[in-house]
Amino acid sequence: MRLTASIRGKSVICEKKITKPSLAISPLPICLNTEDTNNIRRGVIALLIINKAGGLIYNRTFGEGLNQLNSNDYLVLAGTFHGVHAITARLNPLREHQAAHYYAQQQQQHHHSASGSIGAGSGGGQGGPLPSRPEPPSGLEVMETENFRLQCFNTQTGTKFLLFTDTMQANVDVAMRKVYELYADYVMKNPFYQLEMPVRCDMFDRKLNSYIREINNSR
Amino acid sequence: MPVQVFSFYIFDRHSYRVHLLQTLDRPSTAPSPLEPNFPTHHHRQQRALPPSSTAAHPHRQSAPAGLGGLPPGSSQSTSAPNNGISGGAYRDSRSAATRAKDDAKLIFGTVFSLRNMVRKLGGEDDAFISYRTAQYKLHYYETPSCLRFAMLTEPGALSMRNVLHQIYINLWVEYVVKNPLSPVEHKNGDGVKNEMFEMGLDKFVRGLM
Repeated sequence: MRLTASIRGKSVICEKKITKPSLAISPLPICLNTEDTNNIRRGVIALLIINKAGGLIYNRTFGEGLNQLNSNDYLVLAGTFHGVHAITARLNPLREHQAAHYYAQQQQQHHHSASGSIGAGSGGGQGGPLPSRPEPPSGLEVMETENFRLQCFNTQTGTKFLLFTDTMQANVDVAMRKVYELYADYVMKNPFYQLEMPVRCDMFDRKLNSYIREINNSR
Repeated sequence: MPVQVFSFYIFDRHSYRVHLLQTLDRPSTAPSPLEPNFPTHHHRQQRALPPSSTAAHPHRQSAPAGLGGLPPGSSQSTSAPNNGISGGAYRDSRSAATRAKDDAKLIFGTVFSLRNMVRKLGGEDDAFISYRTAQYKLHYYETPSCLRFAMLTEPGALSMRNVLHQIYINLWVEYVVKNPLSPVEHKNGDGVKNEMFEMGLDKFVRGLM
């Protein structure tokens, strides 16, 4: 105590000299390290919600890392993404294979059921298992760039949640799920919320903020 | 680690498709009895393999039918009905060539929009690397001269950025840029028509799988 007080009185250089060796021993460097790199590691940066018509209904930034656009640019961005998402779903290179496979299965099934009903006379003709329908194509799910990572979650009803994170963020799926849960609880259950309209719900804002802060601080 | 590569595209700065390589054998090529009836350029386009008949001049620029690229007028080819899969409501009525052409346009549009979006959000120095859906993953690499490389692989593939960079350095620069007969611009999307490049690329991509 006495020592540090006297050193502090002296000069800055002196203080640095003293603190450096102590950092190497104590668990302090870890804390300092995270503080130092806090500017680089940003966690969840922003959330956008796009309705099924491609309109932006929610837009919130949690941290630094992305350029701030004006609201018009955000609207354009949401619309562009909506279109790109639809195209990426159509571009499935395996669609012909899957379709052919499905069709072959269906033919086989048909053949089986026909021969079964003629031969044994067992009604129904439930010979084999039902042919499995190919998975519906999903659009863009994750996009990576040099500076950030974009995770997109498309709900069954066509609402899209875009979560912008830094490139190193882990467990974005979990965060996305939680955000969706919050949306379901505090937006969809809000009797004053009109579907497909911009989200203005205080509770949602507050809960979302506290959750994202929790994630970003836990790193 | 082997990676399944579906297709590979190169676009120049005018959005003309410079090269297309499809490594996926379409179901239509499976029934071989139909094969002889196919128009030859069709066959080439699907496999993108350099046929032996044109192997004489490695750097010739005036190949009659585009290798890898689409020859003009292929869209009205009559091969659509005998595509191997018979009937079925799901089937695309377009011919395989038209479909490939349309796919290339869609891919260029997607990549272009996403790149612009990324630049707007992440700053001018940011670069779009890849995106993934449940069915495939698209890797992207852009050179400073706005030459764009796009590769479609299986969704679980790791970053292919260095692979695309290698293709640019070892194949494009070596065989196309350093070729004095190669045109500066590749107009009308009729491909690079460069035997060495085609073969090298085919070998390289198949080596990944």
